[in-house]
Amino acid sequence: MLMMKAGVFRPAKLVSLRKIESDYTAITVDARGLTIGAMTTLSDIEQSEDVRAHAPLITQTMLTLSNVRVRNVATVGGALAHGDPHMDLPPVLMALDASMTLVGPKGERTLPVADLFTGYYETVLALNELIAFVHVPAQNGKQAAYMKVTTGAVDDWPALGIAVVIVSDADAVRSVRIVASAATDKATRLTSAEAALKGNRIDDKLLKRAAEAAVEEVEFVSDMRGSAPYKRELMRVYVQRAVRAALNESGER
Amino acid sequence: MAPTETPAATTRAGSQIGRSVPRTEGRDKVTGRAEYVHNMRLPGMLVAKIFRSTVAHGLIKSIDTNAAKNVPGVLHVVTIDDVRKLIPNPYYGPAFHDQPILADKKVRFVGEPVAAVLASDPHIAEQAVQLISAEYEELPAVFDEVEALTSNVFVHDELQPAATFADLKHLKGLKNTNLALSFKLRRGDFERAYAGAAHRFEHEFRTQKVLHLPFEPHATIADYKNTGVTLYTASQGPSFVRTEIARLLGWPENRVRIKVPYLGSGYGAKLYIKLEALALALSMIARKPVKLALTMEEMFYQITKHPCTFRIKSGLDNDGRIVARKCEVFWNGGAYADIGPRVTQKAGVTASGPYDIDNVSIDSHALYTNVTPSGALRGFGVPQLVWAYESHTDMIARELKLDPVAFRRKNLMRDGNQHTTSQVLKDAAIEPVMDLVLDRMAWARQLEKGIGVIRRGRGFAIAIKTVTTPTTSVAIVNVSADGSVTLYCSTIDMGQGSNTVLAQIVGEVLNVPAESVRIAQPDTDVTPYDMGTLGSRSTFHMGHAARLAAEEARDKIKQLARDVGEPEGSNIPIAELFKKRYGMQAGNIVGSGTYKPDYVSPAPETGLSPNVTPFWMSSGAGAEVAVDTETGHVEITKLVNVIDCGTAINPKLVETQISGAALMHLGFTMFEKMHFDGGQVTNASLADYKIPGIRDLPGTMENLWVDNFQGNGPFGAKGVGEVATFCVSPAIANAIDDAVGVRLTELPLNPEAVYRALRAKAGNPLDEA
Amino acid sequence: MNAQRTINFTLNGLAVTASVAPHHNLIELLQGHFGLTGAREACGQGLCGCCTVLVSGRAVSGCLYLASFVDGAEVTTIEGFDASDQLTPEQEAFIETGAFQCGYCTSGFIIMVSQLLDRHPEPTDNQIKHYLTGNLCRCAAYPEIIEAVKLAGRKRKARDATPVRP
Repeated sequence: MLMMKAGVFRPAKLVSLRKIESDYTAITVDARGLTIGAMTTLSDIEQSEDVRAHAPLITQTMLTLSNVRVRNVATVGGALAHGDPHMDLPPVLMALDASMTLVGPKGERTLPVADLFTGYYETVLALNELIAFVHVPAQNGKQAAYMKVTTGAVDDWPALGIAVVIVSDADAVRSVRIVASAATDKATRLTSAEAALKGNRIDDKLLKRAAEAAVEEVEFVSDMRGSAPYKRELMRVYVQRAVRAALNESGER
Repeated sequence: MAPTETPAATTRAGSQIGRSVPRTEGRDKVTGRAEYVHNMRLPGMLVAKIFRSTVAHGLIKSIDTNAAKNVPGVLHVVTIDDVRKLIPNPYYGPAFHDQPILADKKVRFVGEPVAAVLASDPHIAEQAVQLISAEYEELPAVFDEVEALTSNVFVHDELQPAATFADLKHLKGLKNTNLALSFKLRRGDFERAYAGAAHRFEHEFRTQKVLHLPFEPHATIADYKNTGVTLYTASQGPSFVRTEIARLLGWPENRVRIKVPYLGSGYGAKLYIKLEALALALSMIARKPVKLALTMEEMFYQITKHPCTFRIKSGLDNDGRIVARKCEVFWNGGAYADIGPRVTQKAGVTASGPYDIDNVSIDSHALYTNVTPSGALRGFGVPQLVWAYESHTDMIARELKLDPVAFRRKNLMRDGNQHTTSQVLKDAAIEPVMDLVLDRMAWARQLEKGIGVIRRGRGFAIAIKTVTTPTTSVAIVNVSADGSVTLYCSTIDMGQGSNTVLAQIVGEVLNVPAESVRIAQPDTDVTPYDMGTLGSRSTFHMGHAARLAAEEARDKIKQLARDVGEPEGSNIPIAELFKKRYGMQAGNIVGSGTYKPDYVSPAPETGLSPNVTPFWMSSGAGAEVAVDTETGHVEITKLVNVIDCGTAINPKLVETQISGAALMHLGFTMFEKMHFDGGQVTNASLADYKIPGIRDLPGTMENLWVDNFQGNGPFGAKGVGEVATFCVSPAIANAIDDAVGVRLTELPLNPEAVYRALRAKAGNPLDEA
Repeated sequence: MNAQRTINFTLNGLAVTASVAPHHNLIELLQGHFGLTGAREACGQGLCGCCTVLVSGRAVSGCLYLASFVDGAEVTTIEGFDASDQLTPEQEAFIETGAFQCGYCTSGFIIMVSQLLDRHPEPTDNQIKHYLTGNLCRCAAYPEIIEAVKLAGRKRKARDATPVRP
């Protein structure tokens, strides 16, 4: 809508999906996890007890995702298909290892959210493809956090977002996914940081090493919310803070 | 003293003054019934959309409007040549007549209006605008205020001061300059005193381009007929608009009618001429009502705050007395002067601060640059000055290891002292303001600064301002035959509560409840002259005019009683008096009042004057911050705002004026900034130009005023609207310095700026952007 | 290409009809066709809340909501709040706490506050702030607005506790 209003996007035809809405607004739970219809509004997801019970990171993320009116209208499918690197849901869903069912004239296919984004506002979606469902696998006690760093007013597009989903005990990190957004041209998994953590015991030194690895593997985008060198520093700090937050479940900044 | 509901002991008043009367227009606003020009429609109205320059400085080679004209539904496409046929001298401006109604042979900033399209459907008009093209011969552009002073790039070929101002006459015809005006103040001998000073300090401070962004964007509907023109306009100064429109048309004032319904705020943006001249021209061309209403994006091309560079030098003796101060202030006025020259002069008067210094030299320069024009914004230049001089004060104190409180006390101007201009300060509660700030900050107690990642600190600042003078306000009070009272005046209530306060003043004099006094909607056919709702002048000037008008009405009521044979003090209802006089419910009693304070113009060579302002505004702010040393994020944990407003006529309204002003300046201090790329604004929207939201409130905030009585004010009151804007920025910068030992000299104090300063201090600077 | 379509919906409790172009937004429809100016476009990006309208019980940004989307829906604007000439608890609270200055954002705040209190009858400061992040006030009446929310909550409680006379 914003792009059409700004005259940046001028479609010749606009087709509403309202008539098929009811098929894609359910939230269901089974042994594999959550299935969310792509046309479910962010508000409905925010208020879903099933989502809160099975993927509480999503519920927490909604609290600072844009504002209530936007959440009342925006859908999870729309949030993903837009390919905006500043958004909150892409890194969160990637960290949760979510996948999507896509539908098109050739039928259905499944795609991990992690494979959706190819660049700045670019996705792999074909022009005649729609996201139909989002699947969030059962978390089985994984700990998670999403930290959204803004540098203007408290509520703003982030300069950096870091989402962490982690399984760790006293001896070692068993599994971890760390995804960065906003400071990069697309939501990006910080695989070097993950590798630095996996199999090792969490302490200050390890977290610092993981953060160093993270800032080395990523290319930072300068914008009015932060220069590239500054965003680099933010990432260095927030990879550590986000992992700690996930383990303490103390939430975002 | 803390805000109270009842009148303070020093208030010589009855029952309306000192009451927190709820705003009189409350019901209209909470039910969505308040009417604003931006949402108005007139039958048969056309809508105008503007084609704007994409070049910062250039000669217009050609404008191609053919494709636009051919869009079905487009009635007219207008350029300056069309305007000139009807308005032979299409230039306006409150100080300089330098701004053309549409670009005239040249464009001077990105966003300058070049052409306008008229259609009845705004979408069609917008579509047609996209089809207009212009060719420019680009010229070099100048953007920085200091550079503009000596640059060979001249924004204007020749200065064009308005003939109405005697003090600007000498500037007429000046060429090869971007200096629109300079204000000079000389007291004592700065050079000699500075050279002989035991300690010398020299600093430079800068502020950024920010803007008002009233939520109702600028809007005007012009309805021109040969016999008269009516403009419905979102303006803070309908009388001024009337004068200017009449001048442009060569008409007597009484053929021009300006009406202002509710105003969706202004903060100074909606003054003088903004869209009125263009809307008028378009209505003359179309011979139909024309509405010109901006989008929020277009606001970035209309009017902003003055960015400012302030170079300040102070010399001190060994006792910590400031013996010499030199202020060089460069105001970035943008492409058209607007009220910049007056900001330059009026703010220049207090540039050296509330400090008693024998040797002062002030030079305040209004510069033209190739960006959106700068104009009046709540504070009128003073916040930029205080940013500099109160940061400077703390830096000196730190350097000399002086206690910041003791240092200020040693040098502070006090009531009864001479101000730098030589005027004696009267009813200026500067020191009590500082005392209350320190008290509420618990300054005597040590602040726990912390040793971890988060470091705490605190700071404060104090300031003074004069009120723009001389200006005139006229009011009429009309008592109807049933005794109901109406006040007619052209003061615009844009949310500051002037309607309510004026109703309280009239009610006080006539001994009726404020709630029963009706304020007529500003309409120059009905409401008399007022210079404008600006610069914190309305409570004082219109307050006096309304008081005088009510007193005259009261006196006439007494006379009427005598005329109909009622004994003195008989307490008969007014309605009865009218009935006795006229035999039925008929007639009016009308009282009028005019107020203009005395003034002595500053001497041109010295800037000195024994009477440069009828009252002084003083304020102070204290801030406690928590700095995240790993990221530079600053949390304002406590903000204390203290002002001197004399009598608080409506304590609740005073409190909200303090709070609103301080919070607006919190945005200017911490994160607001217009970003530019070669003259093009790159963040012209609320998505990218962030303003304070509800989550940006300080942890705790106190808004207070000192117990004071302005002797020459209406019921002891004086201006309130701006005074809490002055000290927020330096109080916070001083607090950051206290917390982490870094000094920022440029606004905004965003996380990256703080972080870079921390890294630089640690000897490990961050890479350049 | 401006193919108009006719839409039918409920507006503040009354069944209405209108002819709209595909590109018209809800604010243009409400202001242009129905003369309701309580919802206004300010930022044009859904960030300020001045254009808040309730569509089938949910608050939306009218400036980003295509008019055709309200076909078959129930639309409530601020003007529908005091339909019986009686102010709501939120409206009374805003007046009593002075929770506005110029008033341009006030309609939007009142609608959002009524939605907030529907969801959280006794909201904490944190809940209030998070719910109202999408409502900006340039006059910065935020402190008074927070007070007004709490006062409105108390008024609602008192109203619901008081039996209504038949």
